[in-house]
Amino acid sequence: MASGLMRRLAFWRPQRDVLPFTVLFKKFQSILERNNLILELMADMGDKLGGEYVFDSHYLVEVSEKLGDHVFKLISDYSILNQHQNADLFLAFERIRFAIQEELAGHRILTAGEPILDMAAIGHEQSELVGAKMATLGDIRNRLELAAPDGFVITTRTFFDFFQRNNLFARTEAAEQYWRDQDLDALRRLAEEMQQRILTAIMPRRLGQRILAAFDDLARRQGQRRLLVALRSSAWGEDGGSSFAGQYQSVLNVGRDQLIDAYRRVVASAYSFETWQYRLSKGFHESETAMAVGCQVVIEGPASGVLHTYAPHRADGAMLVNASWGLCAPIVQGDQPADTMVLGRKPPYPLLDLAIADKPRQLVPAADGGTEWQAVPGHLQRAVSMTPEQMATLARAAMRIERYYKRPQEIEWTFGPDGTLTILQSRPLRLQEEAAVPGRELVEATRDAEIVFSGRGLVVQQGIAVGRVHRVDNDEDLAAFPYGAILLSRYTSPRYAAVMPIARGIITDVGSHTGHMATLAREYRLPTLVNTEVATSLLRTGDEITLDATQNIVYRGIIVALHHFQLIEEEVFEDSYEYRLLGRLLKCISPLHLLDPQSESFTPAACRTYHDITRFIHEKAVEELIHLSEKQGARHLSAPKRLETGLPLGLMVIDGGGGTTCAPESPTLTVEQIACLPLRELLQGMAGMGMWCTEPVAVDLGSFMSSFTRTVPASLSGPGAIGRNLAVVLAHYMNINMRLGYHFTIIDAYLAEAVNDNSIYFRFLGGVTGFIRRSRRVAFIAKVLARYDFRVEVHGDLVVGRLKKLSLPRMVQRMRMLGGLIGYTRQLDVRMHADSDIDHHVAHFLQVMQEQERTGG
Amino acid sequence: MTTATDGAAAPLRILILDDEPIVCKRLKPAFQKMGHEVETFTDSNAALARLREARFDVVVTDLKMEGADGMQILNGAKDSAADTQVIVITGFATLETAKESYRKGAFDFIAKPFKLRDILDCVKRIEDKRRGLPTEAER
Repeated sequence: MASGLMRRLAFWRPQRDVLPFTVLFKKFQSILERNNLILELMADMGDKLGGEYVFDSHYLVEVSEKLGDHVFKLISDYSILNQHQNADLFLAFERIRFAIQEELAGHRILTAGEPILDMAAIGHEQSELVGAKMATLGDIRNRLELAAPDGFVITTRTFFDFFQRNNLFARTEAAEQYWRDQDLDALRRLAEEMQQRILTAIMPRRLGQRILAAFDDLARRQGQRRLLVALRSSAWGEDGGSSFAGQYQSVLNVGRDQLIDAYRRVVASAYSFETWQYRLSKGFHESETAMAVGCQVVIEGPASGVLHTYAPHRADGAMLVNASWGLCAPIVQGDQPADTMVLGRKPPYPLLDLAIADKPRQLVPAADGGTEWQAVPGHLQRAVSMTPEQMATLARAAMRIERYYKRPQEIEWTFGPDGTLTILQSRPLRLQEEAAVPGRELVEATRDAEIVFSGRGLVVQQGIAVGRVHRVDNDEDLAAFPYGAILLSRYTSPRYAAVMPIARGIITDVGSHTGHMATLAREYRLPTLVNTEVATSLLRTGDEITLDATQNIVYRGIIVALHHFQLIEEEVFEDSYEYRLLGRLLKCISPLHLLDPQSESFTPAACRTYHDITRFIHEKAVEELIHLSEKQGARHLSAPKRLETGLPLGLMVIDGGGGTTCAPESPTLTVEQIACLPLRELLQGMAGMGMWCTEPVAVDLGSFMSSFTRTVPASLSGPGAIGRNLAVVLAHYMNINMRLGYHFTIIDAYLAEAVNDNSIYFRFLGGVTGFIRRSRRVAFIAKVLARYDFRVEVHGDLVVGRLKKLSLPRMVQRMRMLGGLIGYTRQLDVRMHADSDIDHHVAHFLQVMQEQERTGG
Repeated sequence: MTTATDGAAAPLRILILDDEPIVCKRLKPAFQKMGHEVETFTDSNAALARLREARFDVVVTDLKMEGADGMQILNGAKDSAADTQVIVITGFATLETAKESYRKGAFDFIAKPFKLRDILDCVKRIEDKRRGLPTEAER
């Protein structure tokens, strides 16, 4: 019979051989499975950023290969499903895979990246591009929200272009050989030659124009016609493990006309004999040499100086400040008299010791560029160069920087003409060797301390935090958050970003590695422990505690020894090569740019990450399956049928056998004609429980605005606007893919008498509104699923619940619950105004479910 | 409420060997914080030489390395002091390598990447065992 049908339909058979629907459906299922595997692998990689795991570069290679393999096969499966070659998807894939391989191979010659970056756009992620020194200043300005000089960075990308254009790399490799042979004369000659060649090298016209344009922008921002800037080196490796202190040249007070020359001078300083020798002695390869140059506004302060956040040789728990009138440079050189102050490390940062120096002269910017010495007025020569308020402001800023970098810092600073503290530079402070091994006092201190709890929770960001607990339940608590406290809360929330710059740590009862708050906590390097279950029941506002977010322990009281140990560890995890590499790999993998399937940019060519490709294919695979079954259905199985129901589902049902009772050729299907057990129960759950609120919920301005930022068209904002959703059914099996309003839900379920085969897979991917509310909704769903025995995983907006091998009546109960949950959640995020709403909604939902069960709904 | 550790345990002497420096750098301070004495190696032959001249209570070793591999280190450690406990960590974990490690007397076998806490717990168990306390498995 089927063959007869085939013959009759042969005249509109497509050119290509058509695979049976069952084969295509298997491909579709395999796409879904792989899609989940990819999302899980991505989440796994993200988890490794927290510091809880020890991983090595072998792991990074392996997991990148595995991911690439899955994405490749995903495209291959999709190509079978849509029966096209999908060349642009494969091209997008190859682009991403190539970028990942280059990162893994450690090819540090930059082929991408901006030649110029504004200070406002800089952070430690760009350290390859802007060098260590400028990356630090970017963090200080943009993350820690302290003032740093305005300006821009001429990046290492420009350095490479400049060198390659002038063929300057040709001779540098020879230096390594000279060093091995200890032929210092040859090295000296090479250094002189290199410097000469750099100073006379041609700046490519385009690059020169870009640099001058950035300078003009800066002048406009500053409202100055004749702007003078400082040019500072920011090389690879500088300020890292080796200090390079004072090895590279800075040029102060440079005008527009001298800018390019000054750039050449700073770059040439990387090849002075002394610097080159130092670099070689530290084991740097020539391929590891690159220099970015910072171009900064000169801050002409009345007073400046240097601060060491840690001064064990002066006093325990003290920091050391040297200060003088005028510019900072002479104090850094250490060849001019300066006032010396010893301050306490804890608020209110008391002045412990003061030695006033005689300061007869000061360095100031000269009117026509450069700097000059000037006599200090008589009454100021023996006066303290800082006020007590300035000392406290400086001390507080210094501790904030130290906490961020988990290292004692050496900080250059100045108070500008308007009295604002400006950070000029900060680098790790090398401590004396004797401090490097923890003494028995550390072991004793932790041994004798009371443990509030240990071994609980997930480390989102490793580190040690000491301070007082401040519990946050609502916005008032958040507004009252005191400086330097440790945030305690039931749930994680990205709203806590508001206090992250002043908080020392975060502890929550509930939460995951990969929520939005986790991302932010890592950004601020804030020691964060989530999912402890018990923290809010054991701690209260005002408690002094020490949070060890490397070993999941909270101690009562402040354990100074533990905190100090962190400061003397050899290497901070976040500064390690592997950590930075993982961050760069994730940039090629995780960010999602393809958000809106309706948008014109939802194309294979627009895929910039593996996540984009995965999202694209999932969306298209669902469409394709509907399309295929419409085309082929008449031959192999029943045509897709539109489900007639009062619910705005837009559901197309494909019957693979035994799932429906209506006529095969019927274009529609009633609820009564559904024989598929999981779908029947799901719909019953949706319809029968009063869970489906068909009226649009008022969207307030905040969530409406954030809808715009995610570029979802207004036409999608109402519940009436739904695409076609798809269910493939058998008698006992259902696979449903639904986009409702803002959410994407997948359920794959098998329900029968044989307990061992029973399973439900539920996946929810969140939608449009601001991510605070989305995370509340995610918390709500996760809690409800857990109450119904699902194994729940939460990764950001994604909730996955798995359930297996329960008896049929219990599986049925859970299918109905999912129906209710889908209806209930549809617009829930716009109703979630506070964290307390989560528990309220969970309680309400469970109550309604119980009533339904009692009344036998 | 409990206190961090019971009684004053003598510090353990721990040797860490992994050809990837990052592993040594992460493990060393974590063990030091527990009060132990730590030496790290990224070259397995140097580690073998060190094992011949000094006694260690715990050896943490990678499996797959240039030069001597983890199994040779395991043998070397057991030869120089039979009560040295060896923890094998590897990014190439298979059932076979795990079995072989245990057969040759490894205390534990941990697949990379692992949680810092897992290996700290492992050393804790060795400490308990040395002090004659029941280990978790025996409790």
